[in-house]
Amino acid sequence: MKNFFFKIYMLVFMALVVFFMVIIWKVTFAHILHEYHERHKTQEITKFKEQREQKPDKTKFEKVILESEERVKNYLGYRILEEVRIKGHFHHIGFDIGPDNRSYCIKCHGDMPHDAVKELRAFLNMHAFFVGCETCHVKLGDSNKTGVFKWYDRTTGEIVASPVKRGSPGSFKAKIIPFEKSGGAIQRVDSEERINFSLEYKQNEKTLSEGQKSRAKKLIHQIVSKQPYICEDCHQKERPLLPLENIGYPRERIDSITSTEVVGMIKNYTKFYMPKMLLPGDEAKKQ
Amino acid sequence: MNLTRAKKICFIFSLSFLILISDSVQKTSFAADIGNCLLCHKYPGLSRVDEEGRMRLFFINESIYNNGVHAKVKCEGCHTDITEIPHKAAKKVDCLVECHIIEPTTETKFSHKDVATFIKTSVHGKVDKIGNDKKFSEDYPSCKDCHDEPLYRPLSFFKKVRPGISEASLGRCRVCHKKDDFIYQFYNHVTTRLHKSRNPLNIAEMCGRCHDDSSLVTRHGLSTKAVFSYGETFHGKAATFLDERVPDCLDCHVNKGESVHQMLSHKDPLSSIHETNKGKVCATIDCHPSASPKLANYGVHSEFNLTQSPAQYFFTFFFIVLTGGTLLPLMGIIFLDLVRRFFPHATIGRRK
Amino acid sequence: MEKYPAIKIKDGQKYFYRFSLNQRIQHFILAFTIVILVLTGMPLKFNEASWAPYLYSLFGGIQYAPTVHKVNGAILVGLFFYHIFYLIYVIRKYYIEPAKKKGALKKFGALKIVLTQKMAPNLKDAYDIRDLMKYLLFLTAKRPDGDEMTWKEKFDYWAPFWGMVVIGASGVILWNKELFTQILPGGVLNFLLIAHSDEALLAALFLFIWHWYNVHFSISVFPMGTVFLTGYLSEELMVEEHYQHYVDVMKKAGLEHEILPPHGAHGHESPEGGASS
Repeated sequence: MKNFFFKIYMLVFMALVVFFMVIIWKVTFAHILHEYHERHKTQEITKFKEQREQKPDKTKFEKVILESEERVKNYLGYRILEEVRIKGHFHHIGFDIGPDNRSYCIKCHGDMPHDAVKELRAFLNMHAFFVGCETCHVKLGDSNKTGVFKWYDRTTGEIVASPVKRGSPGSFKAKIIPFEKSGGAIQRVDSEERINFSLEYKQNEKTLSEGQKSRAKKLIHQIVSKQPYICEDCHQKERPLLPLENIGYPRERIDSITSTEVVGMIKNYTKFYMPKMLLPGDEAKKQ
Repeated sequence: MNLTRAKKICFIFSLSFLILISDSVQKTSFAADIGNCLLCHKYPGLSRVDEEGRMRLFFINESIYNNGVHAKVKCEGCHTDITEIPHKAAKKVDCLVECHIIEPTTETKFSHKDVATFIKTSVHGKVDKIGNDKKFSEDYPSCKDCHDEPLYRPLSFFKKVRPGISEASLGRCRVCHKKDDFIYQFYNHVTTRLHKSRNPLNIAEMCGRCHDDSSLVTRHGLSTKAVFSYGETFHGKAATFLDERVPDCLDCHVNKGESVHQMLSHKDPLSSIHETNKGKVCATIDCHPSASPKLANYGVHSEFNLTQSPAQYFFTFFFIVLTGGTLLPLMGIIFLDLVRRFFPHATIGRRK
Repeated sequence: MEKYPAIKIKDGQKYFYRFSLNQRIQHFILAFTIVILVLTGMPLKFNEASWAPYLYSLFGGIQYAPTVHKVNGAILVGLFFYHIFYLIYVIRKYYIEPAKKKGALKKFGALKIVLTQKMAPNLKDAYDIRDLMKYLLFLTAKRPDGDEMTWKEKFDYWAPFWGMVVIGASGVILWNKELFTQILPGGVLNFLLIAHSDEALLAALFLFIWHWYNVHFSISVFPMGTVFLTGYLSEELMVEEHYQHYVDVMKKAGLEHEILPPHGAHGHESPEGGASS
């Protein structure tokens, strides 16, 4: 028995020795060889420096998209502030909110989808941060309307209790999603079925014919209404679309959301920009 | 010293302590938001993609902003073109603007204009002495390439020097000064200015964004990837362990008592690192007071490669060969020894 | 030195004298300081590694770890000088003085004594390495007959000896850079830093791989060699590594009839072999 264990031990040790020999080889002689070759390469590169300068060595995609986000830690002594660093951004962000794993809309549209109306897009994107796309862009008919809205967790996708009282405004790790009646039962609008359909489409997109693509897109966007709900549908005291109290907003937050300050500003905006907002994207841009 | 390095660092023992005191610092209320900008800008999702495809984020984190040096400046103080709500796309902030804050000693309006004059004559200025654009002038930094919103790094001097605010000191302030807002602001301002406004590692990372970019380094004919080579020295290594006492780039490259914006080329006879002045850099009272000028002869930016520092390269080469040459044969023997013991009786030769 | 009997018998097992208490204490200080030095030095050398900050903070982080390193370094340098003194003392007292008394000390005699010390490398080591290779490559069943100090032990002794000179000297200069650069140009420090850290890495790897394998991990001693604690080596190991010396000692003690056969032959007789001691 002892002998057997010693054999195992020896085999393991042999593997270990070889492993360490490889490491040491890598950091010593292999490193020297590698460096030698690298040096020759750089000499060649400097030779063709002019050519190289014309040809950027990184793809544009890599440079623009992948490198644009960088994480930094600010060491303040009494605390460490870690955040994303956006190039050219002056103010600190201070926290991270993970991606929305549930929404299938943003798989194609991204999480800053509003772009058409210059003056409003930032506002709309701000709302899209904690309001699911379907909340505004799906207008349920009388037959399947429920008036029920709930919060879902951005990471897990599951329905969670209202985060409103916990987080600072808009920085919840959750989003609002409407519920619909379907065959007597109540279900969330972003049903598994719809998610799977759109995900499958995305996977197979390359193999589909143009006609098939159009059909698939039509079906995916079937529930999307041409004219979304607008600001005033919620920002009003009488009959807001979102049952603010039910989804966990405390009284003072409701008052603030429907305050003259906010509503007045919306009125201002509506006067100037709302006509544009209600036009389809391309036409709005032209105006 | 790459940037991802910052991710790895963690002060296990001091972290819980840090979080404890951090609460006491974030007490100030946001007094400068007269225009009620935060009504909208407190929402983190306030963002869009601009025409050039860059992400624009308009979110202001109130509690962090309040711990920044501009906490008392109202938004319109910098974003001067915004006069009403709703507003159109704001213009870029001109950092040299005269803002509404009054500088107490001269009672004039506060401005960063002097910085611009410093930068102009410094090695980082976009124009040369005659006033022509330097070659590749677009590479030279503007304010935001080095600065984001500066955050306070207060110090406590009560019983010992440590980061953070001393409640005991605040108690003394309150005897005469009634406004807590003012006390925090003033305390933060003064104690932050008493030491480095950024950690050496943060400084190095900031410089490294340009000075470690190999295409910029070659284009401007610089002799080293400065932050990489700094990272090879004890100073740089200590900085990665978050030592506050080690010199960072600014400590050596700027004459003591001058603004960091007045950084000069090492060829400039007025520069702190010019051949004739270099000796004094190391021998300051805070660093190596008894050092002779010879210490400055130390190659702080040597990269251990053949082109930049051949002698050191070959010296290292010798040790690498020595290491490999000693260890690999010995480990070979260990391996053979294990094999031999695995088959103790398998001798090819004549057995006894 | 005479205090220690060459053979100690405990529970019927013979144990052979290797190291005096003084030597064992020296070795203990050496081992302890080197481990601490490596643990406080390597995080600096590999400061980018993910484990470095954690290991470093165990020793108080950047605030205290350098001091720990320096204190241990100073102890080690002290030990080095003590060892040199000890060597001179021992060689004088036990080799040169007796030779003088006998009047046998000729010209260069002292030098000859130093060069023929049991730790000094000699031709037999070369032969032993050759024989060991033969044995390891299965060309022979016989391990080389090691003398009192085998080539492995000489290697273990002289490699750190050279290492201590290099690392110690460079360490002391780097520590007191202000003082030494009164004369030396600062550029020398660059080289000393390379020498200090690279040689330290080599020494650490050498000790933790080669030395520890030979004295602890090799299956004839696994899980732990005890000679560094007791100063006495078991008979089995004595036969395996120091057969020539073993025979000498046994003969001197008048135990010729109890001499065991050499390692290889012994292993051939028993199916257990040398593999399971």
